[in-house]
Formats: sequence, structure tokens, C-alpha cells
Amino acid sequence: MGVADTLQAYWNELTEAERTLSTAVGVTVLGLLVLMLTGVLDPTYFLFLFGLGGMYALLSMGLNVQWGYAGLINFSVAAFFGLGAYGTALLTAQSSPIAGGLPPLIGLLAGLGLAGVVAVLIGVPTLRLRADYLAIASLGLAEVVRMIVLNESQWTAGSQGLYGIPLFYDGWPIVGGLPGALPTIQFVGPGGPVTFGTPFWQELLNVLLLLGFLGASIFVLRRAHRSPWGRVLRTIRADEHLAEALGKHTYRFKMQAFVLGSLIMALGGVYFAHLQLFVSPGNLDPVTTFYVWVAVILGGSGSNRGALFGGFVIVAIREGSRFLGDASVVPIDAAPLRLIIIGLLIILLMRFRPQGLLPPQRELIWPSVIDNRGDRDG
Amino acid sequence: MPALELVLRHVANGIVYSSIIVLGSIGLSLIYSIAGFANFAHGDTMTVGAYATLIASGAFGGLGVTVLGLPLGFLPALLIGGLVAAGVAVLTDRFVYEPLDVGSLGLLITSIGVAYVYRGVIQARFGSDPRQYAVPAQQPIDTLAAIGLQITPQDVAIVLSAVILVTGLHVLLQYTDFGRKMRATADNPELARASGIRTKAIRRRTWVIGAGLAGVGGAFLGLFNQLGPRMGFSLLLIVFAAVIFGGIGSIYGALLGSAVIGLVVQLVPLLSIYGLPIGIEYAEAVAFLIMVAVLLVRPQGIAGEVIEEGEI
Repeated sequence: MGVADTLQAYWNELTEAERTLSTAVGVTVLGLLVLMLTGVLDPTYFLFLFGLGGMYALLSMGLNVQWGYAGLINFSVAAFFGLGAYGTALLTAQSSPIAGGLPPLIGLLAGLGLAGVVAVLIGVPTLRLRADYLAIASLGLAEVVRMIVLNESQWTAGSQGLYGIPLFYDGWPIVGGLPGALPTIQFVGPGGPVTFGTPFWQELLNVLLLLGFLGASIFVLRRAHRSPWGRVLRTIRADEHLAEALGKHTYRFKMQAFVLGSLIMALGGVYFAHLQLFVSPGNLDPVTTFYVWVAVILGGSGSNRGALFGGFVIVAIREGSRFLGDASVVPIDAAPLRLIIIGLLIILLMRFRPQGLLPPQRELIWPSVIDNRGDRDG
Repeated sequence: MPALELVLRHVANGIVYSSIIVLGSIGLSLIYSIAGFANFAHGDTMTVGAYATLIASGAFGGLGVTVLGLPLGFLPALLIGGLVAAGVAVLTDRFVYEPLDVGSLGLLITSIGVAYVYRGVIQARFGSDPRQYAVPAQQPIDTLAAIGLQITPQDVAIVLSAVILVTGLHVLLQYTDFGRKMRATADNPELARASGIRTKAIRRRTWVIGAGLAGVGGAFLGLFNQLGPRMGFSLLLIVFAAVIFGGIGSIYGALLGSAVIGLVVQLVPLLSIYGLPIGIEYAEAVAFLIMVAVLLVRPQGIAGEVIEEGEI
């Protein structure tokens, strides 16, 4: 069986929605590549946006564990994202009031550790609550985290934010010096000059790092989701009393899902800090939380492919609204336009496609089971 | 300054602040009982009321004589603010919430979308800079200033209006046919419908009352602080704290909860006198922590009835 046949078989397995979406994504990626190579789009900025999309995808996958797997309405995504970002920034940034200058790997551990501890602290009182109370309480506690970051400036530099954060691979042997060592390639495309210089190679390494983070998260989540543990979570989401009647300690499972999801969100935060190289309390605004909610609902609750897709759509919305607002295509500023788009998207999705664009199909089934079953019509 | 005087001053502020919160919390609680979900757009409904009042007070301007530090023209402006908020909420219910079939959690998530649309539209029209009503700045009332209380006539107007509105609602709920039907619908919608109550009409009127009160509350919030597109969303968690403290679904609980949470938020600065170094910047954080504590110890709130998990 050749590659073409395998692809054909894969294509036949997809649902109608998945085919439409795959085509749309393919066309978009191709279009962006053409724009980049012809000099219309700055390749460095494009890679930065790609990194941002991957960051939102990480946050969405984290929320997916909590909402999509276990049915926990967590409105404190921004807090865990912020804890990851601040955890690493406080240890690695030059302007950090407490430490600074430590290697980013230590920052990564600190960010994840901080988020893990806070997840347990927030989870203990709130995970026993009814779903709508959990939503309110988690939003409130996320605001408390934001207030602490904003006001305890002797530790966090307050509203100034932390700058001078190094790239994640700074100081690594070979890799750290790679962007500076690689040659600068320049040519003039139809849309303007195209430059692949040091900043481009830096962003390219960032993207590779992102792919590493995403790959590791997806691997862990796939294993977890298909395991007996994942099955218990899905039972809790469908009917918590049933799970209890089956002898499952639901509180413990919910706590594990909450912490696992928060760690993945914090990973997104760590990546963000070393991508943007600047963090401020503004990053912890509740709107970040609801961006991620849109991504998860849009992609399809419970689906990791959906979360991945949703994360990149969020960046498209952010950039699209900036373009439409700044270019005066519509007579509305970028910031309010973004709020309206996000709001309308939530309303329309809940009305017309509450299951999202890519609801989980075969993600819950071991691949071997699919391979062994008889043929089925398209 | 003597400690007692300081305490009195903060208590007075707390009463004014509580009066604003109660206008939001009653509506939130009513809508929770009748429509069946925690409405995260309620704070932004308050913002809608505040900005509608801003436009209306610009139209009526300094109409007439000044009563309690407010031009008489502010009264119709306030009324319009409440009516616009009510109208927007009813339209939202009709075209957004009612056609949905996604359960109470889906409605909750949808209401966040609604909140962002409200805020986005307001920010698009008015920008994000803070605004103020064109009413004369107020000096504290002289006689009260003599005993150390800094209360402006506008503060008195806010508290008085809140008392009148809450009393009116109490009469409406307890002594009218509509009130009885509404309480019946909140208690058990199916039974109410079976008894011949038009629950759909009740639901509409609940939105009118709840959002109308919120709109007026938002206008007062703009008077108390200033107007901004984020004003209502920022207050939302405080309003939730008040509702949860009193017991979600209970109007009188919301009244009690607003009084307690409003006072707590305004009294936090006093804690530093008594050795607890919690600054005013954490006033809201203290309210949220009280809310979480209440949820843990007594999830049905102080005045609420026990709600079984399956009922929502």
C-alpha cells in the first residue's frame, strides 16, 4: 500500500465536517506560506503568531482536560497561565525583583510547580461545589491571583511587568548560538523583500520548542484520556452520581484532572513568557480565560484536535480584528471589535453547534480496535 | 482622627455601596430562580443602564431645580437607563437564551458571550476612557460633616432610591397577583404552568424587573464612582458574592448579602488599624474569600433553601 493509498484511506475515515475543515486549514496554511515567500507577510512575525497560536492551543488542551473530560467549569484559566508565565519570568528575567538570571529550565519547573500548588489550593475548596458555583468561585479566585500579582510589586514588579526574559534555549550548547550563526537569506519577492535573518531563526527555534511542548502534552493526554482514568472522568462528566455509585472517589479524580489541566495551562504560560519576553498583570485579565473557552467550545469539548484548531483560530480572531479595526475596514476600534467577535462566536456556537466543529470521534477508542473491526461504509 | 469617626465614615460609605449592590443582586437572584442559570451578563446589563442614563441625562441636561444634589432631569434619565437595560435584557432573552437547548451550564457560558457583546458595543460607541455624568460635583452635607460624616446629597439620593425600589419590589412580590405567580414559578415551574400560570409572561416580566433594577443600579454606580465599559463586569463578582452569601434564589437573602458584602468591602481599610495588614486593594479579594467560605460551609447561603443537585 503506497502513501497515496494510506492518505486515501485516512481521508475516507473522516466525517464531512472534518473533511471540510481539513481542506480549509490546508488552503489557509498554503495561502499563508505563499504570502510569506512572496514578501507580503513578514516571516518572523508569522512565526511569532504561530507560536502564539500554539500557546493558546496548550491552554485549550489544559481546559479540555478539565471541562471536556471531567466537566469542570473552570474560569481561572488566566490565573494558571499567569502563574506559569510569572513563575518562569520571576526566576529568569533581568528585571525580576526576587531572583533573575536563572536558566529557563529551572523557570519551567518553578512555573509548573507554582501552578500545581495553587491548583491544589484552589481545587480543595471549589471542586466539591456545584458546577455553576465552581464557575463563580474559580473566577473570583483567579481575580485574587491577579490582584496579588498587580499589587505585591516588591515581588512581582506590579503593573510595570517583567521584561528582559531570555529565550528558552538561551545558553544551551550549540542550539543557543544557532540563530546568530545561521546565514541571513535575502531575496525580493513580488510583494516586497523577504529576509530570513537571526530573528527568523530564533522564532523558528521557538516554533520547534512549541512543537515539543505540544507533542509531549498531546502524548500524555491521549494516553490519559483512553486509560481507565480517562473513562472514569468521562463517567463523572456524564453522571457524577453514577460514578459514585460505581465506587469511584469522584473528588479525587476531579482534583487530578484539575491539576493536570492547570499544569498544561502553566506550560502554555511558560512558553508565552519566553516567546513574548515580557509579562505583565494585563496577561491575567479574565478575557484570556474566555478566549480559551471559545477555543475549546469551537474546537469541540473533549477533543484535542479541536483544542489545537481552536487555539489557532483565536490568534486569527485577535489578528483579524486588529487588521479590520486598524485598517478602518469597519468603523470600530480593534479592542471592542474583538470583544464583540468573541461574544458573538460564543452565542452562535451555543445556538447552532454546541458540540463544536471537531467533536471527538475516534479519540476515545484504541486504534487497534478500529483496525480490527470490519469494513464500514464511508 | 478618632477611631469611631473613621469607622462611621466607612460604614456610611458601605451603606451607599450596599445600596448599589442590592439593585444588582436582586435581579441576579430573580433571574436565577426564573430563568434557571447564573447570568454572567448581569454586570454588563448594569453598564448598559449606566450609559443609557448618560445619554438621557445629556438630553435632559440640567432640567429643573436641583434635588438632593441632582438636577430634576436626572430622574427621567435614570428611568430611561432602567428601561433601556430592561429592554435589552428582554430582547436578549427572546433571541438568545430562549431558543437555546443547552442546559443551565450552556446558558451560563452563553451569558458570557452576551456580556462581551454588551461591553464591546458600549466600548465601540463610547471608548474606554472613564466618563462622568454632567451633574454638579457635591460637597458633603454640612450638618453631617460636623460629626465627621462625609456624605453627599447624592449618596442620600442613592440610598433613598434603593430603599424605595426594594420596598416596591417587596410589595409587588408579597401582595399582588403577579408576585404570587412569580414566586410560584420560581418555586416549581412545571406545577405553576399546570396551575394555569403563563410562565412565559412571568419570565419576561422577571427580566424586566431584574434588568431594570440592574440598570438603575448601574446608573448609581456611575454616580458613585465613574462610568467605564468594564464597570459592570468588575462589580459582577461582588454582586455574585452578595447573592451567594444570602442564598441564591432568595430575594431577602440578596438584600442581606448585599448589606454584608457592601459593608465588608468598604470596611477592609479599617483592618490595618487593628493590625491586619490588608490594604484597600484587597477589599474585593476579601469579599470573594467570604463567598468561597460561605459556599463551603453553607452552600445554600444564609437565607436560602437547600437545593438538591439535580434541580438546576
